[in-house]
Amino acid sequence: MPAPTWRWLKLNYYDLYDVEQPEAVSVEIDPAAEVEAVESRDFLLKDISTGMGEDMSRIAASSGATVHRFTIGEQHRASSPVRMQVSYWDSSCQMVNTELVLGKKSRMTFIMDLTSREEASGLGASQIRYRLDDGAHLTIIQVLHASSEYCVLSDIGGECGENSTFELVQIVLGGKLNFLGMNSRLLGKRSSLITRLGYMLDGAGYLDVNYVADHVGRHTTCDITANGVLRDQSKKVFRGTIDFKKGCSGAVGSETEDVLIMDDECINQTIPVILCSEEDVEGTHGATIGKLSEDLLFYLTSRGMDEDSVYEMMARARIDSVADHIHDDMIRELISDELDDMADRRKEMQV
Amino acid sequence: MKEKAVVADIDRSMYDFRYSDEDSLKVDEGLTPDIVRQIAVEKGDPQWMLDFRLHCLDVYNKSEMPDWGPSIEGLDMDHIVTYVRPKADRMQTDWQDVPDDIKNTFERLGIPQAERESLAGVGAQYDSELVYHNVKDEVAALGVVYTDLESAMRGEYADMIQQHFMKLVPPTDHKFAALHGAVWSGGSFVYVPPGVTVEIPLQSYFRLNAAGAGQFEHTLIIVDDEADLHFIEGCSAPKYNVANLHAGCVELFVGKHARLRYSTIENWSKNMFNLNTKRARVDEGGRIEWVSGSFGSHTSYLYPMSILAGKGARCEFSGVTFAGAGQDLDTGTKVVHAAEDTYSYVNTRSISKGGGVSTFRSAVVVNPKARGSKSSVSCESLMLDDISRSDTIPAMDIRTSDADIGHEARIGRISDDVVFYLMTRGMSEEDARALIVSGFADNVGKELPLEYAVEMNNLIRLEMKGSIG
Repeated sequence: MPAPTWRWLKLNYYDLYDVEQPEAVSVEIDPAAEVEAVESRDFLLKDISTGMGEDMSRIAASSGATVHRFTIGEQHRASSPVRMQVSYWDSSCQMVNTELVLGKKSRMTFIMDLTSREEASGLGASQIRYRLDDGAHLTIIQVLHASSEYCVLSDIGGECGENSTFELVQIVLGGKLNFLGMNSRLLGKRSSLITRLGYMLDGAGYLDVNYVADHVGRHTTCDITANGVLRDQSKKVFRGTIDFKKGCSGAVGSETEDVLIMDDECINQTIPVILCSEEDVEGTHGATIGKLSEDLLFYLTSRGMDEDSVYEMMARARIDSVADHIHDDMIRELISDELDDMADRRKEMQV
Repeated sequence: MKEKAVVADIDRSMYDFRYSDEDSLKVDEGLTPDIVRQIAVEKGDPQWMLDFRLHCLDVYNKSEMPDWGPSIEGLDMDHIVTYVRPKADRMQTDWQDVPDDIKNTFERLGIPQAERESLAGVGAQYDSELVYHNVKDEVAALGVVYTDLESAMRGEYADMIQQHFMKLVPPTDHKFAALHGAVWSGGSFVYVPPGVTVEIPLQSYFRLNAAGAGQFEHTLIIVDDEADLHFIEGCSAPKYNVANLHAGCVELFVGKHARLRYSTIENWSKNMFNLNTKRARVDEGGRIEWVSGSFGSHTSYLYPMSILAGKGARCEFSGVTFAGAGQDLDTGTKVVHAAEDTYSYVNTRSISKGGGVSTFRSAVVVNPKARGSKSSVSCESLMLDDISRSDTIPAMDIRTSDADIGHEARIGRISDDVVFYLMTRGMSEEDARALIVSGFADNVGKELPLEYAVEMNNLIRLEMKGSIG
């Protein structure tokens, strides 16, 4: 986290011990026609910072793995999303590296499905770096739905040129340990960052998030939202930092979080940070954590729903509200099926 | 092109005067077991306290410096004098018996006048010792005890002191709590019996006169069941070109259905490292209200903590921090919800100008037992120029499903529209901006007694004084 706080809160960092040198994982790729896809050993964007810090970059660089680079030229729009399917198998550590390079006024959507084979155990990682030239628009949609024995790391970092937009939608459904890191440097004037995070954790699932938005250019904007549901003994840590650097006058940053805690043994930790070295900015943060509001509960129960059904409906609605930002039927269906599976497993356990 | 207020440094002449400390008794610079023993002898400590001091020194030597807050480079404990006894032989209860230069100091700060007009009792500490302590007869008649901690430790409240001293803030809490335990001196003890309401406030004022010295006063307040107290704390020091250190400790025990309001206007000089620790434990149905204004110091680490230990206990924290040139003020609060149906409300304002750094840092922890708890945290920051810095670092740790936790933060600048509106009503731009900043800090001002609110607004007005260009 860029600004540490009291050590007793144990929020400043997470130590992943004994991460072995990763091996490459095979991936399925479906690139759009307008996008140049190459696999290379040269990391073009290796100097760009990511959300998980230098340790993660060292692990990625030590892997000897290749990088999948997707490039789209000036003024081009990808007619369909670039899809990458990653399915980790039993292994101590597997890794996939991706670079996304967008020319001026180009547009691309990158969809990444990170999962593990059924009942596989181990650690799988993904690192994505991106660079957006002026006026470019990149959307990354990432779904993490590994097995309950799998640890998944998703690390993202990039730089945005003038008037460019980076949009990130991440959905985390289940899994054992999930780590999300994202660092976006808004360098160009009027560049913007939009992130939507949705998660539903159950069992002993754990989610650790570190998002950083660096406002460097003038009139840059960021909008970070996180909606999630915690069940059983799951735990979530959300660190979100909006960093207004000196000179970013006119910048606006906002961060909102809504967490529904369904069971007493869940743990929710949140630390939304605003760092400000510039006078002419607006930064806001809002969080609502806990149970449903009594007004909402009363309204819905007075319409004939029992309280459990209201909670189930509102839990799903939180994920749906994020999934609504995904304009891809295939991935929305995947999310819906996964939520159905989670609900079925829950019913079976209750029986 | 937007116009900006160019802000002058605060006129500190009211606080920035000093008297010679040649006649004072000082221990050597630094921190050794011999110095700790010497302080214990000077204080006439009982054996348990000497043992405790030496234990704290051991903890201090083994503890790490904080690595998460403002830099405390420039604070060299090898050059800090931890005990300075002023030339007053002993604590006085008659103002006329206080030595002239010390008396003049507090007269200039307006303490005796405040006592006459609006306080139920006053304690005045000069360097390491209390020089004056008095409580009005009618308050004493209610059974209220307000005295220096050393007297209490040796008198009829000895057991109570031993039972409570550094139990809320153990020396293992952090390095400067351990330092405090080793070298503490001075401070007040207040006991309010069950059911007693003290209608007008008590006040302690701390003045550090000696250059290169530390002040380590300990304040222990016990407000028994269904009792009610407002306690005010003030502090200041003249400016030196060497570092001074304040590492006080405040421990507050609030009984069942009792209420304690603890108000502070902190205006240390800008060579002061203010590493103070304040903590309250609140029993069933009790209520702690913190009102905190931080204006002085070179560097501050200040986070009053509330432990809501009894069902239905409540905490309210209202704070304002004004960081000017050369200041790095890291302030905020911590709340632990440890029982059912507890409630906390935090409302803070931070203002940064002239290159000052203001950081709001907080933690709200809701334990699994604290079902039905509610917490609301609001922090707003105002940047007055582009050479300053303002950070907000609020943390929440929620461990029950049955909690209602809200948080909001906002950071920004003075709206040009509002300044323009006020100027069309006949105000100068400087007055308009000062008015807006005073209004911004009103969350604290409205909670203070009138005299202190006026002083706070004067401080803000002085900070805002300058030309527009």
